[in-house]
Amino acid sequence: MKTVIRLVAGLATVGALSGCALTMEEVQPWQMDNLARSEMALQIDPQMAAYRSHIAFSKEAATGGASVSGGGCGCN
Amino acid sequence: MRLPGRAAAFLLAAAAVLGWPLTAAAVEVGEPAPPITGPRADGSSFALSELSGDIVYVDFWASWCAPCRAAMPRLDELHASLGARGFSVVGVNVDRKRRSAERMLEQVPVDFPVVFDPEGQWAERYALPGMPSGYLIDGDGVVRYRHTGYREGDLPKLANEIEKLLEENQP
Repeated sequence: MKTVIRLVAGLATVGALSGCALTMEEVQPWQMDNLARSEMALQIDPQMAAYRSHIAFSKEAATGGASVSGGGCGCN
Repeated sequence: MRLPGRAAAFLLAAAAVLGWPLTAAAVEVGEPAPPITGPRADGSSFALSELSGDIVYVDFWASWCAPCRAAMPRLDELHASLGARGFSVVGVNVDRKRRSAERMLEQVPVDFPVVFDPEGQWAERYALPGMPSGYLIDGDGVVRYRHTGYREGDLPKLANEIEKLLEENQP
C-alpha cells in the first residue's frame, strides 16, 4: 500500500512539475468562448493556408492532395 | 487515525492522475440555490440574499452566446411586467472581459441587475449544463425550475412557472 501511495504521489508530482496538463479537463459551457478565439483555429489564416497547400502540391507534383476531388493524376 | 487521511490522499492523487472530475455537482431542482455575490455594473456589490422572499430567475449569460442575447430583451420584459408582484431577474455575466459584457449591454440594455463573474466561480458552483442557463428560485431560496438554452417558444413555459410560484408566494 505504502509503495503504491508513493508511486502515485511520485507520478502526480512529476506530472505537476512537467508543466503538462495532468488531466484532460473538459471545457465547460461557460468557457466555450476560448474555443472561438482565432488562435484556437487549425488554420489561423485561410489565405496563407491555401497558398501553402498550393506550393506543396506544386512541389509534390500532385493535385488534389488535401481536399480537391480527383486522384492526383493531373487530368481533372 | 492515520489511515483515513492516507486513503483520502491516495484517492485524491488517483483522481488527479486518472482525471476524475472534482468539480461540484450541478444544482438540481429542489435544492437550495447557492448564494451569488459580486460586483454590479455601477460598482456596487450585489448579493442574491437581498432578494430573498422574492421569486428570482437567475440567468447566466455571456456576450459571445447568441441565444443569451436573444433571451435578454424577453427576460427584461418579464422583469418589468412582474416586478411589482415580487419577481426579479438577475443576470450573471460570465465574460472574461468586462468590456465585452458592457458593449453587449449597450446594444441590448436591460433593467434587471447584472452581476459580473469573470472567473466563472458561480458558473462553476452551479455547474451550468449549458449556455444560457436559468434557475427559477422561490421565496425560500429553493431552485424550482431550471432551464438550459433559449428558443422563442421557451418563454410561455417559463412565464407559466413564474406565475405558479407567484401565486404560491402570495400571503
